[in-house]
Amino acid sequence: MIELRGVGKRYPGRPAVLRGVDLTLRPRDIVAVTGGNGSGKSTLLRIVAGVSRPSTGTVTGRPAPVGWVPERFPAQQRVSARDYLTHHGRIRGLDTHRARRRAGELLDRLALVGGDATRLRDLSKGNAQKVALAQALVVPPELLVLDEPWSGLDASAHATLRELIADVAGAGGTVVLTDHREAVLEATATVVHHIDGGRLVARTSTVDTAVVDLAGSGPPPWRGMPGVFEAHRDGGVVRIRVDGARCDELLAVALHEGWSVRGVRR
Amino acid sequence: MTALVRYTLSMTVHGQAYLPPLILWASAVVVLTMNDLGPLTGSYAACAMTLFVCLTWLTAVQVNTESQTQRAMTAVAAGGLPRVFVAHVLAALVFSAALTAVGLVFPIVAGTHTVTAADVAIGATAQGICAVTGIAAGLLCSRPVVPRTGYAVVLALLLDGFLLIANAVPPVGPVVRGLNAGIPPGRLAGHAAVAVALLVLAVATASAVASRRD
Repeated sequence: MIELRGVGKRYPGRPAVLRGVDLTLRPRDIVAVTGGNGSGKSTLLRIVAGVSRPSTGTVTGRPAPVGWVPERFPAQQRVSARDYLTHHGRIRGLDTHRARRRAGELLDRLALVGGDATRLRDLSKGNAQKVALAQALVVPPELLVLDEPWSGLDASAHATLRELIADVAGAGGTVVLTDHREAVLEATATVVHHIDGGRLVARTSTVDTAVVDLAGSGPPPWRGMPGVFEAHRDGGVVRIRVDGARCDELLAVALHEGWSVRGVRR
Repeated sequence: MTALVRYTLSMTVHGQAYLPPLILWASAVVVLTMNDLGPLTGSYAACAMTLFVCLTWLTAVQVNTESQTQRAMTAVAAGGLPRVFVAHVLAALVFSAALTAVGLVFPIVAGTHTVTAADVAIGATAQGICAVTGIAAGLLCSRPVVPRTGYAVVLALLLDGFLLIANAVPPVGPVVRGLNAGIPPGRLAGHAAVAVALLVLAVATASAVASRRD
């Protein structure tokens, strides 16, 4: 559990960016921070990830490894995306073979345009964003911090991103992310906080979610059902994250369609 | 740390900005030691001086290869900004070792000297001292410490110029001049300790200044 207590941030010669932020982040939480431009949400995320040190207050309980995806990934090197990620895998403790394989898997999954031999300096904004994302996931993180991860990504990568986020949270990790489109966050996050003028405004909503594991075949009956945040296949079962209030409804429909319930967690 | 040093070296070599300082070093070593007839330590003094300037430039270039955001990502992966700077130092030491090896052999091959093991050992130590001090100066002139390139260049010229000219300020000036005059090995050990202390100080300063800005 990561705890921020009275966190403030001030850069020399400028007004405070953050003031008195208290925030608790639990395992399996997908925490969204919303706010306008310059509201301090990027700074808050940098402090959560450990990139910036707070000027006042404390951050305790940050787990390792941490994955941090900045809003922009400026890279001017000639090194290929695959080699860059392999290096990052090794820095995070993988051997060369496993680092290379993991890099290839992630880039395949994110469908990097131009292939994984593309040099960093030749990547478009969206593709650079994919490399930054893969960099944070080379070793499955206990804490994943994403600054506007949807910006610049194509539509097909949106679904992959949601799956990757769900994987991290499903494995017991904590995910913190921002976006300025509240609708996107409501669909993904389990907890939403709003930040305004460097202060955290009372949480706007907490969605009670349930995770349902189903086994079976045929057309998925939950497709298009209200309250279903996401579904992805994990081995023989399909793992569905659903609004807690709609959980029974989903189970009833699934059982009626001949699917078998393997597990329900709140 | 091995992985981090390997990454740092790879990013530097892919960047190609390391070439100008190496070309400077190679030209200066050739011009200053070719067909030299004097004592071997005199040629080594020229190599040490050149290595000092080259390593200042090379270290700064190496640190500047990564953008601020990229450096922060690497720091998150590596477990802290100080480790990133230590990796830069180790990578620069790899370059230093290679250049020192050439700087020890080339004057023997290119000039006419009486070669003794003691002279070669003194030359190696002196070049090591100058390389380490050069790395320290390079860290202080890198973008995380001095963000504006113009100021960084001025600072590098002043810092290197001062350390080369100031005869009483250890370690570079006294070592380079001492090689020409026959410096006792005991004095070299003292200068080596000063050089290492400067490098530790530079890593601490660079980490502190860079993390204040993040």
